[in-house]
Amino acid sequence: MKQAGSNRETFSLKSRLKRFKRDSNRWSVFTLAIVIFLALPIIFIGVELFSGPGETWSHIVKYLLPEYIWNSLYLVLFCSILVLVLGVSSAWFVSRFNFPMRKQLEWLLILPLAIPSYIVGYAYAGIFDYGGSLDLIFRQLNLDFIRIDIMNRAGLAFVLSISLFPYVYVSARAFFLNQANNLLEASKMLGVGERKTFFKLMLPLARPAIVAGLVLVLMEVLNDYGAAKYYGVNTFTTGIFRSWFSLEEPETAVYLSALLIIIIFALILFEKWQVRKIKFTSSKSNSTQIQRKTTTKSLKWLIFLVVFLPVLLGFILPVLQLIYWATLTASTVFDVQFLLISLQSFGIAITSAIITVFFALLLIYFSKWSALRFIKNVARVGVLGYAIPGAVIAIGIMIPTLALDKWLINILANFGIDSGFIINGTLIALFYAYAVRFLAVAYNPIDSTALKVDNSIPDSSKVLGVGNLKTFFKIEFPLIKTGVFSAVILVFIDVMKELPLTLILKPYHIDTLAVKAYEYASDEMVMEAAIPSLFIIFTAMIPVIFLNKLLIKK
Amino acid sequence: MKKKIIAVVTFSLLTACGSNNEEKDNSNVQETQKEQVVNVYTHRHYEPDQDIFKMFEEQTGIKVKVINASADELIQKMKMEGKQSPADVLITVDAGRLSRAKDQGLLQSIQSEILEKTVPSHLQDVDNQWFGLTKRARIIAYSLDRVKPEELSTYEELVSNKWKGKILVRSSSNIYNQSLMASIIANDGEEIANKWAKGIVANMARSPKGSDRDQVKAVVAGEGDLAIVNSYYIGKMLNSPDAEEVATAKKIGLFFPNQEGRGTHINVSGAGVAKYAPNKENAIRFIEFLVSQDAQQIFTDANYEYPILESVAPTNDIKAWGDFKEDTLGLNKLGENNKKAVLIFDEAGWK
Repeated sequence: MKQAGSNRETFSLKSRLKRFKRDSNRWSVFTLAIVIFLALPIIFIGVELFSGPGETWSHIVKYLLPEYIWNSLYLVLFCSILVLVLGVSSAWFVSRFNFPMRKQLEWLLILPLAIPSYIVGYAYAGIFDYGGSLDLIFRQLNLDFIRIDIMNRAGLAFVLSISLFPYVYVSARAFFLNQANNLLEASKMLGVGERKTFFKLMLPLARPAIVAGLVLVLMEVLNDYGAAKYYGVNTFTTGIFRSWFSLEEPETAVYLSALLIIIIFALILFEKWQVRKIKFTSSKSNSTQIQRKTTTKSLKWLIFLVVFLPVLLGFILPVLQLIYWATLTASTVFDVQFLLISLQSFGIAITSAIITVFFALLLIYFSKWSALRFIKNVARVGVLGYAIPGAVIAIGIMIPTLALDKWLINILANFGIDSGFIINGTLIALFYAYAVRFLAVAYNPIDSTALKVDNSIPDSSKVLGVGNLKTFFKIEFPLIKTGVFSAVILVFIDVMKELPLTLILKPYHIDTLAVKAYEYASDEMVMEAAIPSLFIIFTAMIPVIFLNKLLIKK
Repeated sequence: MKKKIIAVVTFSLLTACGSNNEEKDNSNVQETQKEQVVNVYTHRHYEPDQDIFKMFEEQTGIKVKVINASADELIQKMKMEGKQSPADVLITVDAGRLSRAKDQGLLQSIQSEILEKTVPSHLQDVDNQWFGLTKRARIIAYSLDRVKPEELSTYEELVSNKWKGKILVRSSSNIYNQSLMASIIANDGEEIANKWAKGIVANMARSPKGSDRDQVKAVVAGEGDLAIVNSYYIGKMLNSPDAEEVATAKKIGLFFPNQEGRGTHINVSGAGVAKYAPNKENAIRFIEFLVSQDAQQIFTDANYEYPILESVAPTNDIKAWGDFKEDTLGLNKLGENNKKAVLIFDEAGWK
C-alpha cells in the first residue's frame, strides 16, 4: 500500500513536471519577465523584510500599532459601504433610466477622481471650519452656534469615499452598459419586477466588476497620507512615514509597508475566492446596449437627486470652495506659467497612462496565452504597487535604477565619457515608477472586461490558424475597448494628481500641477493651493469628457 | 475619432520627449560650455524664495535648479545617490533635519567669512556644515477674551491643572513640535520632558489635528484657550487674502514663553553644502547670498520670519509683537534629541 502511495506521488510529480514542460511556452517566459520588471521595486522592499524591523519595532507594537490597525480597519469598512452605495446606485440609475441631465451626470460622476483626495480634505475642512464657508452662511442665519467638526475619523472616511467612489461607478457602469441588456430582457419576459431584477440578477452578476473597483478604492484608502495626516487620523501609512522619518528607521517603515502589502494581497485573494465559482463570460459581448427606461415625472426627479448627490458632494462643493479660494488668491498666485505646467502635466500623464495600459495588456494577454495556470496568479503580483505609498515605491525604484546608473557611469567612464545619471532624474525613471505604481488601475478594468469575453471567440480564431497577436488586434481588442479606455482615463487622472513619487523622482526642469499645489498646501497655504488644484481638475476633465463620448458612442 | 486620438497621443508624446531632449541638451551644454549652475534641494516651498533665486541668477549669472520635497525625502535621495548626487545645497525648515544630514555624512564643512560673521554661533553648526537662514519662534497664541497674558509664563507651566481642556496643539508628527520637545529634553532632562508630554496630553482641548493655523482658529472658535504655534503662521494669517483669517488672527494675543529663564524656543530654516557638491563654489556663493541684506529682507517681508541678519529690520507685523529673549541652546541638540522626543510623544499618547 505504502509503496503504491509513494508511486502515485512520484507519478503525480512526474506528470506535473511533464505538464509544466508541455504547457510552458514563450508567453509564460514573457509574463514572468514583465512581472519581474514591474515588481522589482516591490521585491527590493520585500527583501528588506528578512533583515527584520528596526529597534523601535517593539515600541511601535506597544504604543502605535493597535491604533493603526483599528483606524485602517474602520476606514476600510466605512469606505467600502459608502463607496458601494454611491458607486453602484449611480451606475445603475445612469445605465437603466432616463432622467433629466442624465448625459451630463454620466461623466460628471467620474470627475471627483480628478481632485486629489487631500485637496478634497482641505476643501471640506475649509467649508466646515470656524470662519469657513458654512460658518459664514450660518452667521447670516444666526445659526452660528452650530458647528460641524469634520476633521475626525468619520469625516476622513466620508472625504475619501466621495472622492474615490467613481472607481466603483466606472467599472459597474461598464458592466451594466454592455452586458446587461439580454439579461434584462429575459428577466422582463419572465415578469420579474425592477427591484428584484436588480438585487437578484444584476447585482450578483456585476459583482466581479464592482469588487474590482472596490479593491482599487481600498488600496487608495489604505495608502492615503495627506488627508489622514491633516485630519489627525493615524493609519498604517502615516505610521510608515512616522517610523521612516521621525523615528529614523527606514527598515521599520519598510516592515510596515510589507505588512500593508500582505493585507492588500489578502484582499485580492479574497476577491478571487469570492468570484471563483461564477463564470461571467457572455458569448454576446457585442450585445446591444441597455434600453433605458422612462419613468413617471416625480420618480425621474427623485432619481436625478440620487445621482446628483454624489456629484454635488464629490465634485461641485469642493470645486466651489476651491474657486472661492482661487478668487481670493488669484492676484498673487496666478501665473501664465501654469498653462505651460498644465501642458507638461498633461503630456506626462497621457504618456504614462499609455505605457501603463500597454504593460497591463501585455500581462493580461501573455498570461492568458501561457497555458500554465499559475502564471495568471503570478501576473497579479504586479498590481501590488498601488497599495504601497508613493514615497516607498520611489525608494524601491531608486535602489535598482541607481545601481544600474552607477554601473553605466563606470562603464562610460572607461571610454572617457562623463555622463550623469541616465535613468534617475529623467523621465524614464518617472514613467517606470508610474507604471509600477498604477498598474493595478489599468489592470483591473481591462481584466474584468477581458473576463467577460468568451474564450470560444479567440479560440475559434486560433483554430482557424490565426496567430495570437492577430487574434488579439482583430477580435479581442475591439471587444475589450471599453475596458482599455477606462483604464487610460483612470491612470491618466491618477498620474495627474500623483505627488510623493513625482516629488522624489522628477527631473529638475519638469514641474507638475500636483507638485505646485503641494508646494503651497504643505506650508499651510491651502488657499493658494486652490489655483493649481483647479488646473489639475480642468486638465483632467478634458480626456474624461473626450473618452467618455467614445465609450458611449461605440 | 481615431485620428483625433492619434493626434492627441502623438502630441503628448512629443511634449514629453521634447522636455526629455531639453534635458539632454542642457547636460550637453553643461559639459561643453560649463554653464554655471547650482542644484538646490529644498524643503522651503515658499513663493518668495523663487524671487530670491531669481535675484541670485540675475546678480551672478549662476542658474538655480531646484528640487522641492520634504527634507526627509531629500536626505533619503541624497543618501541613495551617493557620490553621483547632483545636489549642491540642501535647505531645510528646521535645524534637526540639517544635523541629521550632517550625521549621515551628507554635508561638508565650508570656509566662509561672510557666513561665519553673519550667522550667530548658536544658529550654525560647530563644524560649519550648516548655517541658519531665518528664525521662527514657537509661541503661545492665547484668546484675548478669556486669557490674561499674566497667567502665562513658561512651556513647562502649561501642564498645570488650570489649563485642563484648554490647550490646542497639532500632531506630534510635526517637526516643530518634535524640535520643541527636543529642546525641553535638552534643557530639562528626559524625566521632566516625559511628564510634560503627559501633562499636555491631559490638558488638550481635543485630539491633535490640522495645521498651526487651525489651532489658532480653534482658539477663536472657543474650542480651547491656548494654542502652541509658530510665529510666522500668525504673520501669514494677519496678511491672509481671506478677511475671515485676518479677523481671526486679530482675536488672539502672542505670548513668548520662558522670558524669565532660558528664553523662547526658536528654530531655524537653514542650508548646508552637500558632501559631493559638483558646484561647491557656487553653492557657497548661493548660501552667502541667502544671508545678504536683500534676501533677508524678502524672507521677513514676504514670509514673516525673523531675519538672521541684525541689520535687517523685521517686517512691521513682527515688530509689533516686540523683542523677545530667545533660547540660545545649540541647535544641533534638536537633531540629537529628535528620536527621543518622538518616543516620548508616543508613550504619552500625543497623537
